[in-house]
Amino acid sequence: MTLVEFPAMALAAVVCWAAGSLLQIPAKNSRIFGSLSWLFMLGGTLVLAWFLASYWIALERPPLRTLGETRLWYATLIPVVGFLVEYRYKIGWLKYYCMGLATVFLGINYLHPDVFEKALMPALQSPWFVPHVVVYLVGYVLLAASAVSGWHNVIQNFRGKRSEKGESMSHYLALLGFVLLTFGLIFGALWAKEAWGHYWTWDPKETWAFISWLAYLGYLHLVARKTDPRKLQWYLGLSFFVLLVCWFGVNYLPSAQNSVHTYSG
Amino acid sequence: MEQQVESMSGSNNTGAATAGFKDAALFTLVAILAGLGIEILTGGGGIDMPGWPFNLVFLVVFGSLIFAVGLLYREHPLISWLGGIPLGLSLIVGLALLSLVGGVLPQDKFPPGSMVAMLRLNGMFSSWPFALVTLLFLFNLGLALVWKTIPFRAANLQFMLFHGGFWIALSCGLLGATQLERLVVPLYEGKASDVAYNRQTEEAIHLPFSIYLKDFQIEQYAPKFALYDPANDRLVEPKSKLVPEIGKGVKVEWPGLGSVTVLDYLPSALPGAHGTPVPGDNGVAFARVRIDENGKVSERWISSGGPRLKPLFVPMGSYFIVMADGAPKAFRSEVMLTGAGGEKRMETLEVNKPVDMQGWKLYQAGYDESAGRWSTLSLVEAVRDPWLPAVYVGFFMIMAGNVLFFWKGVKKMEAA
Ligand code: HEM
Repeated sequence: MTLVEFPAMALAAVVCWAAGSLLQIPAKNSRIFGSLSWLFMLGGTLVLAWFLASYWIALERPPLRTLGETRLWYATLIPVVGFLVEYRYKIGWLKYYCMGLATVFLGINYLHPDVFEKALMPALQSPWFVPHVVVYLVGYVLLAASAVSGWHNVIQNFRGKRSEKGESMSHYLALLGFVLLTFGLIFGALWAKEAWGHYWTWDPKETWAFISWLAYLGYLHLVARKTDPRKLQWYLGLSFFVLLVCWFGVNYLPSAQNSVHTYSG
Repeated sequence: MEQQVESMSGSNNTGAATAGFKDAALFTLVAILAGLGIEILTGGGGIDMPGWPFNLVFLVVFGSLIFAVGLLYREHPLISWLGGIPLGLSLIVGLALLSLVGGVLPQDKFPPGSMVAMLRLNGMFSSWPFALVTLLFLFNLGLALVWKTIPFRAANLQFMLFHGGFWIALSCGLLGATQLERLVVPLYEGKASDVAYNRQTEEAIHLPFSIYLKDFQIEQYAPKFALYDPANDRLVEPKSKLVPEIGKGVKVEWPGLGSVTVLDYLPSALPGAHGTPVPGDNGVAFARVRIDENGKVSERWISSGGPRLKPLFVPMGSYFIVMADGAPKAFRSEVMLTGAGGEKRMETLEVNKPVDMQGWKLYQAGYDESAGRWSTLSLVEAVRDPWLPAVYVGFFMIMAGNVLFFWKGVKKMEAA
């Protein structure tokens, strides 16, 4: 499949998620509606997974090179985190935010279609390409979910409905996300040594990856100091903006003129 | 500060969380201001890191100092504050803010007399404020490490690996930077050379081995069609955003203008008599295309051209259809390496596949871009970094620590 089929596939996924979400209402009283609802929600994600797989085949290279391609992965993976959290913690609200976020990503890709481009510049033809980007992707997905639940907890707190379970969920999502961020950073450095001769050159993307990493490092140390978890929900919600700069904001900064990563926009 | 010590041992008092932070933040701020002061006094000259062997001496002295202070004055309130989380956090924030400036302002792009250059905000990562904060950061982290390592407890293994790895990678990476050598070796086909150049100083250096370039090759992706708009001097994107690579049978449409169908495709050919290209080595790509301008059909040859060959393009309406060269797929230099003792080795240098030679790593770096595929010049980069093994030890410790962290996190999460 190519990008010509993308709008139809994206629409199918969003419709599935929306139908699944609506079916949650009657599902409160009926197990059949419950199963049907899950069938739809998982179906939406499967549609995207299928599109990604066939797009990968059509491109003859991993679809991980452009920002649009990474957004496609986020749209596929973020709802999965929501589903897993419900499965593990019986916390249901996160999945709606996740599907909403995924819909936004699909919308951006619809409005700014990528160019179908098979070429992969020589520096990207490396065994490190897939692990480096996939580890970052999953890390970002977990941290996005952590930020969303951070904001949710902030709001619930205002309404006087504090949930310690919700706070522990945003914490563990951030913890796992941080671990993946660390691996992404080091994989990137090891790859840079092979491709460009040095593992670290303070390229703007590297610098921002370092700043984002420090932001979550700061979070973990605040936790170690037993900071009030209610305040930390703000921190988690705000840290994600730093990640957003690293993810695509870098391309718009004055420093980006001499970045080796600008090809990825 | 007494409160400090107490909360280090894990008091659950949220009031304590803010105590010690004020001093720490102030201390960090003073360090940054001091660094900026030094920059102003030295005209933004930045820090000159010690070269060999003083970098090693510095590392040993600094490390010993941390050990001694950590073990002898563990109970001293000032020292326990210096190795505590509040200072660590303030320094993390300080490092993040300095990196933020370095990540927003273009590095090396300001005139020497400007304010930015005087403060060396355009050379942040070799500036005094950055160096001072990093030094304090290493001191803080080092103290914490000593306390968690002695006495040894297996439960602290994850901490030791993660923080120790970071300490090693950061200190050795920064101190080793003065010994990092990155040189360019220009090579011509059929010639051997051992002369390498420093990019900044353009100083020539002789490598302990010589490199003979047997052959340099470029592989390209298949070419593509593009619609050139001479009025605006730009390429028009097709509506579908789907430009297939040129191959026999491929058809591309520009709605409202017309379409092009490839009847014949020769990846490498030279112009022959009667305007019909003849397939052959070292040629350029040609395609015979059928052009349909809303019913008006014609057949033409089209070509991307080369250094000595004119490109062939065809008009369509007020536009031109051109054949754009494919992006490079691979650069490759086949070389013969001859060591000081006369030992010889054939190797292929390619992007992402550096080759080791007597303590140097050799990289395919570039070529003569004006000659493109016909370049007989290959630029090879020779890199030597004696501190790399130490940095990698740090990296692997960080990764090992993170695996433990992940595992513990997942187990705690199951319990939660
Ligand atoms: C050989 C070196 C490297 C290559 C070829 C490379 C390539 C890429 C590519 C293709 C992407 C995905 C597209 C994008 O969003 O930009 C990416 C993402 C990223 N890279 Fe690198 N990278 C390299 C080294 C590094 C290093 C050393 C770091 C620094 C720590 C780093 C940090 C990141 C980050 C933070 C992302 C964002 C992940 C995302 O957007 O999903 N990279 N890199």
